[in-house]
Amino acid sequence: MSSESIKVTINGSDYQVEKGARLIDVCRSNGHAVPSFCYYSDLALQASCRTCLVRIEKMPKLQTSCTITCTDGMIVTTESDEIEKARRGMVEFLLANHPLDCPVCDRGGECELQEMVFDWGGLEERFRERKNYAPEKYLSPVVANDPQRCILCKRCTRVCDEWMGEDAIEAGGRGVNTVIGTYGGWLNCSQCGNCIEVCPTGTLLDGTYRHQARPWELEQTITTCTFCSDGCQMSLGSRGGEVMRAVARDRYVNGINGEFLCIKGRFAHPFVNHEERLRTPMIRYRKGGKLIPATWDQALEFAANKLRETADAHGAEAIGVVGSPRITNEANYALLKFANEVVGTSNYTATDRFSLAPFFESLGAGLATHRDIRFAKTIVLVGGEPEELQPLTGKQIRQAVRNGGAKLIVINSRAIRLQQQAAQFIHIRPGAEDAAVLALADERFDELAAKKLGVDASELSTARGTVLDTEGNCIIMFGGELSPAAQSLLAQIPHAASTDKRRFLFHPLPLYNNSVGAHDIGLMGGAHTASSLLGAAGAEIRALYVAGSFLPDHLRGQEEALSKLDLLIVQELFETETTRYADVVLPAASFAETDGTFTNNDGLVQRVRASIPPAHQSKPDWMITAALAQTLGMDFNFQMSASTVFRELAERTTAYNGMRYPLLKDETKPVQAKHAIAPRRDLADEIEALRLSIESLDETAEKIMGTPPVGHELFKPGELTGKVPQFHLLAAGNPKPPDVLISPLYQITIDAGLRRTDEAVAVAGD
Amino acid sequence: MSIISDIIDSTKAIIKGMSITLAQIPKEKWTVQYPDDPVTLQPRYRGQHLLHVDELGREKCVACFLCAAACPSDCIYIIADDDPRPEEERIGVDERYAKIYNIDYGRCIFCGYCVEACPKDAITHGYNFELSVYTRADLLKTKDDLLITKQKQSPNYRVAFSDEDVDSEYKEI
Ligand code: SF4
Ligand code: SF4
Ligand code: SF4
Ligand code: FES
Repeated sequence: MSSESIKVTINGSDYQVEKGARLIDVCRSNGHAVPSFCYYSDLALQASCRTCLVRIEKMPKLQTSCTITCTDGMIVTTESDEIEKARRGMVEFLLANHPLDCPVCDRGGECELQEMVFDWGGLEERFRERKNYAPEKYLSPVVANDPQRCILCKRCTRVCDEWMGEDAIEAGGRGVNTVIGTYGGWLNCSQCGNCIEVCPTGTLLDGTYRHQARPWELEQTITTCTFCSDGCQMSLGSRGGEVMRAVARDRYVNGINGEFLCIKGRFAHPFVNHEERLRTPMIRYRKGGKLIPATWDQALEFAANKLRETADAHGAEAIGVVGSPRITNEANYALLKFANEVVGTSNYTATDRFSLAPFFESLGAGLATHRDIRFAKTIVLVGGEPEELQPLTGKQIRQAVRNGGAKLIVINSRAIRLQQQAAQFIHIRPGAEDAAVLALADERFDELAAKKLGVDASELSTARGTVLDTEGNCIIMFGGELSPAAQSLLAQIPHAASTDKRRFLFHPLPLYNNSVGAHDIGLMGGAHTASSLLGAAGAEIRALYVAGSFLPDHLRGQEEALSKLDLLIVQELFETETTRYADVVLPAASFAETDGTFTNNDGLVQRVRASIPPAHQSKPDWMITAALAQTLGMDFNFQMSASTVFRELAERTTAYNGMRYPLLKDETKPVQAKHAIAPRRDLADEIEALRLSIESLDETAEKIMGTPPVGHELFKPGELTGKVPQFHLLAAGNPKPPDVLISPLYQITIDAGLRRTDEAVAVAGD
Repeated sequence: MSIISDIIDSTKAIIKGMSITLAQIPKEKWTVQYPDDPVTLQPRYRGQHLLHVDELGREKCVACFLCAAACPSDCIYIIADDDPRPEEERIGVDERYAKIYNIDYGRCIFCGYCVEACPKDAITHGYNFELSVYTRADLLKTKDDLLITKQKQSPNYRVAFSDEDVDSEYKEI
């Protein structure tokens, strides 16, 4: 967009605006209210509702301001009798087919049509004709549909297509008989529910929350999603200690994700109030015995005594402390402090799938925010599957390409769905991502890499050429497939290739909501990784204090490791494979019950806020750690306040220096951690090591064919149907639904490697 | 003062008082012999609520929560639910109905805002006024107590006709 400025006159006042600006935006940002329905910024234009009519001089008729691009000298009127009459007429038309029964409509109370009618509606209906009638139905387990309420703004079809790339919901029929429908009567998509969110009326509704509560009864708490590293901002609506729903409606919250949420964020919150949540602390007095409920004092006393015994018998280094990439920075910080100051051990880590430490150590450029991705010129995606594992990133990439004209280079062993958007898709052999990085970094290795990747060497040079031709931002994303050496190498690329015109930014794709935070705090910098800690269990490691659980990945092949420990203390939400051998189990509070911060893959430090009091007897993780420290005779001096913990954390963590809760208060202005940019350094060692490991790669490995659908197999049949009993009944008239149900426990207790093709390993509750 | 003047003064007072009392005896009586006789209530008296049904006996309430939102003392508790059966078999007039509808008479101040708020004419104030109970928990009335088809009306009241000269009006005697 050029920054040339032009003059526009609105209602007699002159404004200097950027050339190419949309008239409706200009009117609104200057305080001239213009109503709208179908206009939705950053989606294709629709111009179907005609409520945004304005008078523009020298144009014959009233114009829809949502489609007009400002031109120099434009003279606009937004308020006049003529315009008012036209708008009132439009609203009357919108209501001509709309049932007047807000009392039974779930959108009532937060409905844009209600608001529009308050402002522009008449007192009486003049239409006497029969309204179109269509029965309510379900389009999927999570999307309820009441076709009569539709005003045909087509926001739903546009987000489905432009954000999600699903195109599962479409308008069919003509004229008054137009309806929003699906292909085959059933929504065959990733069930993100974004159509529900953007629908201004009660046509598309949350099936899990249907008829459960009214919006004005709910306490809205702005918080950060707990399911992936994108860190979407959402509003949890709770009533009487129960989380009823999660939404991102802009009337409640305006975070980095706008109104976007994915299936996990929107629908997987029932785990918070799940009946299998741990209720009390529990002690296993005898190895192999049962877990017996105990009081907090008893449990902490028991754990403290045992820890003391272990330290006395085997030394402090025999005790390991394990944090989690899923809990808050405050909780991880408390654990680190516990390891360093109370126990005095260097054996601490977090249960992440892979460490970002090599990447951050060699970081050659800053981290890209999701906004940067949307406006990037070139995006290189090495490995990973953002659409499934970081859905917001996936959406931003798609929009960057579709709406922003960015070039996308996908280097992946699977034909992930994003390759449909890619300017270039390099389909490599599984496990060969390192070779691609080596080739990107250094053209000398093109031949070798191409051979191992199973691609043509020219593909690699084309990709490099695209990157080097970029003017503007080039964003490099990578998944967990890269080896530490490849991470370092990739992280240093900007030093060689940045110019004035071209700026590099990174966007790592870790799997968990606080993977970056766990790294920043320093928890990933201990002497062990999660797997090696388990390997040492029973040998040099005699006791473990674990917040959260080990992933099935860590336990695979060493299932018995935990049973070899003298002492295992676990703080968890549910019973898991890890609590099976625990001597003390402490019930922890979920993300909806605790205050704190998560750091997302942009490096944004965002607030998590308690929406309900902790379930049963659970406590926030950092409080448990502080209480255990207290029992061991050390006062952390956290004063029962998460902000005190954060202040201390921010003082001791370089990237977070200067941050305070008040600074993080506003979700519309997120604060980025200041990750240090590493200077250019000699990478000969890394390159040599990479070369050697790449040399040994198999050249005959089969490529994986076929594009896996997104979201379909991520969720297994689970809890959700229990919450929507009416679904079974209503579904009778519908085609049989495919098994796209959600287990809220999925990411909490089950982690099947988060890959669709891996066999799911059910741990508990499923 | 002497004891004699005391006696005279109090006798005077008694005579004065009794003369008023005795003068009332032949006059018309206002006392209602409740509970032997029913009390007469004004037509717009606000007693215990009634939840209404339509001509097919289906509950009119659609669980819109507007009454609960309007209630200044926060005494209405509703849980909505779906009843996806065919129209005639439904519990309520709409698919959406109140599975639970409680009013806590320990809190209700009989302001009538819920009645004003109801878009479906589903709730009104009835005339039952004998709400005292032995335990406070019993003040919580459920749908079974409130539905017009189920609420037992007290025999101890009659409702005045609207043109009746209602006797609880203040009168100069
Ligand atoms: S969509 Fe809005 S206007 Fe229409 S019935 Fe629902 S609340 Fe009322
Ligand atoms: S279903 Fe909702 S979002 Fe879609 S066209 Fe109708 S009113 Fe608009
Ligand atoms: S009684 Fe009336 S106002 Fe109250 S929930 Fe029922 S329909 Fe709504
Ligand atoms: S907002 Fe402009 S036509 Fe709908």
